[in-house]
Amino acid sequence: MLSMLPAPDSIPTSWGYFQFFLLLTFPLHLLFMNALLGSSVLAIAAHLQASQKSKALAYELAKVIPLLIALAVNFGVAPFLFLQVLYGQHIYVSSILMGLFWIMIIPTLIVAYYATYWYDFKFITLGRNGVWVLSFALLCFLGIGFLLSNNMTLMLHPEAWGAYLSNASGTLLNTQDVTLWPRYLHFMVGGTAAGGLFVALYGRFLARKDASLGAYASAIGMKLFLTLTVVQIAIGTWFLLALPKAQMLLFMGRNGLATLCFVVALLLIAITLFAAFKQKVYLAATLLAGLVYLMVFMRDFVRRGYLEEYFSPEMLKVVPEYSPLIFFIVTLVVGLSLILWMLRMAFTPLLK
Amino acid sequence: MNYPVWYLPETGGGILIAVIAVVHVFISHFAVGGGLYLVLTERKGLKENDAGILAFTKGHAKFFMLVTMVFGGITGVGIWFIISLVQPAATSMLIHTFVYGWASEWVWFLVEIVALIIYFYTFGKMDNRTHQMIGWIYFAAAWLSLFLINGIIDFMLTPGAWVDSQGFWIGFFNPSFWPSLFFRSFFSFMLAGLYAFLTSAFLKDPRLKANMTRYSGKWALISLLLMLPCGYWYLSVLPEPARMLVEGQSPTIQIAGQYGLYALIITFVLVLLLTVVRPALNNKLIAVLTMIPAFILLGSFEWTREAARRPYVLNQIMYSNGVTIAQADALQGQSFLAPAKWASIHEATNQNLTLAGAEIFKFQCYACHTIGGINNDILPKTASMDFPAMTGYLLNVIHKRPYMPPFLGNKLEAMALAAYLVGDLHDKEVDPALITASTDMGQKLYNDNCVGCHGIDIIQDWAAELTLVEIIAGLESLSELNEMMTDFSGTLQEKQLLAGYLKSVVTPPSSPVIDGKSVYDQNCVGCHGKDIIVAWAAGQTESAVSASLAKLGLLNPMMAGLSLNDQERLAMAAWLSAEQTGGK
Repeated sequence: MLSMLPAPDSIPTSWGYFQFFLLLTFPLHLLFMNALLGSSVLAIAAHLQASQKSKALAYELAKVIPLLIALAVNFGVAPFLFLQVLYGQHIYVSSILMGLFWIMIIPTLIVAYYATYWYDFKFITLGRNGVWVLSFALLCFLGIGFLLSNNMTLMLHPEAWGAYLSNASGTLLNTQDVTLWPRYLHFMVGGTAAGGLFVALYGRFLARKDASLGAYASAIGMKLFLTLTVVQIAIGTWFLLALPKAQMLLFMGRNGLATLCFVVALLLIAITLFAAFKQKVYLAATLLAGLVYLMVFMRDFVRRGYLEEYFSPEMLKVVPEYSPLIFFIVTLVVGLSLILWMLRMAFTPLLK
Repeated sequence: MNYPVWYLPETGGGILIAVIAVVHVFISHFAVGGGLYLVLTERKGLKENDAGILAFTKGHAKFFMLVTMVFGGITGVGIWFIISLVQPAATSMLIHTFVYGWASEWVWFLVEIVALIIYFYTFGKMDNRTHQMIGWIYFAAAWLSLFLINGIIDFMLTPGAWVDSQGFWIGFFNPSFWPSLFFRSFFSFMLAGLYAFLTSAFLKDPRLKANMTRYSGKWALISLLLMLPCGYWYLSVLPEPARMLVEGQSPTIQIAGQYGLYALIITFVLVLLLTVVRPALNNKLIAVLTMIPAFILLGSFEWTREAARRPYVLNQIMYSNGVTIAQADALQGQSFLAPAKWASIHEATNQNLTLAGAEIFKFQCYACHTIGGINNDILPKTASMDFPAMTGYLLNVIHKRPYMPPFLGNKLEAMALAAYLVGDLHDKEVDPALITASTDMGQKLYNDNCVGCHGIDIIQDWAAELTLVEIIAGLESLSELNEMMTDFSGTLQEKQLLAGYLKSVVTPPSSPVIDGKSVYDQNCVGCHGKDIIVAWAAGQTESAVSASLAKLGLLNPMMAGLSLNDQERLAMAAWLSAEQTGGK
C-alpha cells in the first residue's frame, strides 16, 4: 500500500540531530516508566504483607509514584516529538487508525494519576483498600503500554493500513502482528524487572533515615529484578524469534553495528545479573541504564529494517535553518543547570 | 488528502479538540499566573510573619500541583494527541516548522515539574530565600512555556510574512505574538486570583479568609482591567479577513462575542463584590460560580481565535480540511478522488455517485461539518436544497462564501457529493440526467446526429427564440424544415437531452434569458429558504429589489462575496414579484 503513505514535511536541520535527540531521550522515558512499574508492583506486594515494615515501604513508594508519572510523561514528550519529526507520515497514520484507543490514553492516564495521588495522600485512611486503588492505577499503566506497543508497531506496517478503507472509526489495532505480544511483554516484564532495581536503589536512599526499611526495600527490589530478568530472557528470545527473518538477521551479522549492540547487550545482561546477585545495587543500576540505551538502539535497527522498503529519514528534505537548533541547545543547557541547582538545594539537606 | 480521516460523522473532530483544548487552556493559564501568585503570597506571609498566610500558601500549592500537574499536564499532551488525530497535516506542518520551539517548550515543562515538586515538598523545610527562588524558577519556566506556545498558536491565525518567506523566527514572532502574549499573561494572573478564591473559601479562620479573599480579588481585578486594552490591541493587529469575521461576518463568532461580553461583565461584578464590597461573602459555591464566567470568557476568546481563521486551519496556508492552498490550486477542475490517497473510491461514475460523494464528504466537508451532531450539523444546512441546486451550490456559491474552502473536484464529483447530501442524507430524488444530460449526453447526441452537416451556429440561430418544448417539436419534424433531414427518432429522454444541450449552447450563463428561480437555486438556497426572501421583497418594486440585490453586503456582511450581474438581478426580482402574487 505504498500509495497510501503520506508525503512527509521537510525538516530544518539534518535528520541526524533528531535521531540523536530521539535516541537520547527515549531511554529516559523507559527508565522512569520502568521505575513506575516496579514501584507500583512492589508497593502493592508490600502493602499486602502483614508486617509494619512492608506497610512503611508501601507508603514510601506511594510518595514517589506520582512523581515518577510526571517524569515518565515528560520524558515521553521529547522522543514522541522527535519521532513525529522523523516518522510523522507513519505515526500520524497509525495513530488515526487506532484513534479511539489512542485518545483514551489521556483520560485513562488522568484517572490513574489521580488514583496514585489518592493512594499517597490518603494512605492511612484508605488502609487495605489502598491496594485496590493502586492496582487499578497499575492496570491503567499496563493498558496504556499495550496501546503504545500497538501504535509503535502499526506505524511500521503500511501494508496493513488498507484496513482503514473498511473501518475509518479509529478502532483498529495491530493485534494480527505476531511480534506484538512478545514486544509488549518484553517492555512490561523487563520494565518491571528494571523497576525492581529502582526500588533497590530507593532503598539505599531510605536507609539514611531508616536502615532496616532501606535494607528491606533493597532486598525485595533485587529479588524482583532477578526473578523477572530470568523470565525476561525467555520473553526476549521469543521476541527475537518472532521478528521477521530480515530483522532478526540484522543482529546475527547482517548489520555490523546492530550485531555489536546485540552482543554487548548480552554481555551486559550477564554482568548486570552478576552484580545484582552480589547485591551491588549502584553498579547493577548503572549497567542497566546502559543496557536500556543499547536496547533502544536495537529497537531502532528493527524499525529501520521494517521501513526499509518504504522510507528512511535520510530521505527527508532539509530546508536548513540552524538558529532554532542553537536556541534549543541554549535552552536545554539553561534548563538543565536550573534543574541541577534545584536538585542540589533539595537533596543536600536530606543527604547530610 | 494526504492523511486518513478519523471518521466519526455524528461527533466531529472539532468538538473533541474544543473540549480538550478549553479545559487545558483554563488550567494551563492558571499554571502560569498561579506560579506568580504562589511566590508573591509566600513572600507576603514571610514579610508579615503570618503563619496563617504561609499555611494557606502551602495548601494552595498542593491544590495547584494536583490541578496543574495532573490535569493541566496530561490534557496538554491530550491536545497534542487530538490535533494529530483530527488535523494531522496541520499538526505535521507545525511540528516540522517549529520543532525546536516545541523542544524548548519541553525543557521548560521539565523545569516546571521539577521546580513545582521541590517547591511543594520542601515547603517550610527549606531556607526561605532558596524556597522563594525555586518558586520564581517555577514561574519563569511556566511563563516561558506560555511564551513559546503562544508564538506557535498565533502563527496559526496570523502567519504574517511567513507565507512569503518561510522561517522559524518570522513565523514565531508573527503579528499577533505580542498582544496575545500580554493578553494571555494578564488572563493567567486573573485566573490565579479566581482559583485562589476557592482555596480561600476553605479557610476556617474568618479573618484570614476575608483577608486572602480580598488579596486574591485585587489580583483578579487589576489583571482583568489590564487585560482589556490587550484584547483591543489583539483585535487591531488581525488581518482584514479575520477582523471582518470577528466584527460580524461570522454568526458563530458573534454569538461567542456576546457570551464573552456577558461573561466579562459577570466576572467583573463578582470579583468586585468579593474584593471591594464583601470579601466575607466568599464560600465554596461563590468561588466556583466566579470561575464559570471566566471559563466562558476564555472559551469564547479561544473560539473566536479559532473561528477567525476560517476557512483555514493555518491561515493563508492550509484549509480546514488539510488541503493546502497550493494543492487546491493544482486541483482546480481536476478530479479530487483520483489522487486522494485514503479514499476507497478513486473515480466517480453515474453508477457510484452516492458512494463517491460519501468519500468526498469525508475528506472535504467533515473537518467542519457533522452529520446530525452538535457542531455545525450539515443536515439542516442542506435541507432546503434539491439535487440540481446542491450541485450548483457546490460548483458556484461555495466559492463565494468567505469562510468555506472551495469545492475541489470535477463536475461529476460535485454531483456525487450533491447526490450523497441530497439523496442519501435527505432521501430526495437524485437524477443525474438532469445535469449531465444537458451537456455531456446531449452533446453526444448532437455529435452523433447533427454535427455531420451543421455547425452549431446555424442551430443556434434556429433555437434562439424557441422554448424547450418547441425545440423538441422541431426535432420531431425536422423533415418539415428541410427535406434532406429525417425526423429525429430518439426516445423522449434523448429528445429532452438534445434539446437541453441545444438550449444550453444558445443560452450561455450571461444570456438575457435567465430565470429567477435558477438564480435563486444557484446563489441563495444554500442559506435561505424561499419564504424569507419573498417576504423581504414584499412591498418593494422590482427595480428596488434589483438595486438591493446589487448591495447584498450592506444587508449582511456575510453576503458581501455574492455578486449578481444585471440580468440575474432583474430576473430574480421578477421571479420574486411573481412569487408574491402567487404566480410561478
